[in-house]
Amino acid sequence: MSELASESVSTVRGLAAGSRLPERTFGPVTMTDIVRYQGASGDMNPIHHDDEFARAAGFPAAISVGMLGAGWLAAYCTEHLGEQTVRRFRTRFSSVVFRGDRLTASAEVTRRFEHGAETRVELDIRLRKDDGTVVVSGSAEFAVR
Amino acid sequence: MALMPIERGKIREYATATAAARPAYTDDPKAPVPPTFLATVVFWTPIGETLRSPAVLRACAAAGVPADLGSLLSLEQEYVYHGPLPHAGETLRTAERLRDVTVKRTRDDRAMIVVRFTVEFRDERGDLRAECNYTSAYVQRERR
Repeated sequence: MSELASESVSTVRGLAAGSRLPERTFGPVTMTDIVRYQGASGDMNPIHHDDEFARAAGFPAAISVGMLGAGWLAAYCTEHLGEQTVRRFRTRFSSVVFRGDRLTASAEVTRRFEHGAETRVELDIRLRKDDGTVVVSGSAEFAVR
Repeated sequence: MALMPIERGKIREYATATAAARPAYTDDPKAPVPPTFLATVVFWTPIGETLRSPAVLRACAAAGVPADLGSLLSLEQEYVYHGPLPHAGETLRTAERLRDVTVKRTRDDRAMIVVRFTVEFRDERGDLRAECNYTSAYVQRERR
């Protein structure tokens, strides 16, 4: 696993604007995924695990945690760019996710630039459902040298 | 304002919960924080106190939007890191500040109170190491 990770990191050092990372799929989302993230993150909002509570708030069922999608995107980026190199990580939640949804992470390099002594890449990051609906989008910066 | 120890076991747990259980996170006593890990600050201090500030409650009351959990949505979070990434074994000091409050309409014409606030994380020397910029909203429930 660590060998694979270091190989990915060295591959990415050559990334230029327009390059894409290989996609990765998460889910289908289960209640277990949701409650494990809620326990780990400390966000115990019942709208994510209590269907009745979610219906009272106008949703057909409990909705997944936006930050779980962001966490999966973070896992995807660090797998390719390394665990020590994140400099900025922004995620916007554009659509709710329900149990059973399968999500695919993708990233495209938009810019390669110097920042002080570092070379960085900026990426457009995205998590989408099988029907193409984007659920999390954002941008991230990682140091590559 | 609170102190937040960055704990190795917590990083291991968080990495596992986000499908990132790799040795760099799970086996290193000085593991770096995953990009969104600082969300766990809520175990140390009730983040979002600014969501209950008078300016926000006034805006919600004026728009007829209940300022409660069932109406609250997280729209965006941005983590910005300065200097070396925070790692297990360090202790950070947090502080929260309200940035602004705006009233908007959703696409289906419901009132939405958008609140932006920042949580900063400083190390024991007082150096700024990370900031989290939150955008959250209280949204009027659908009429039925």
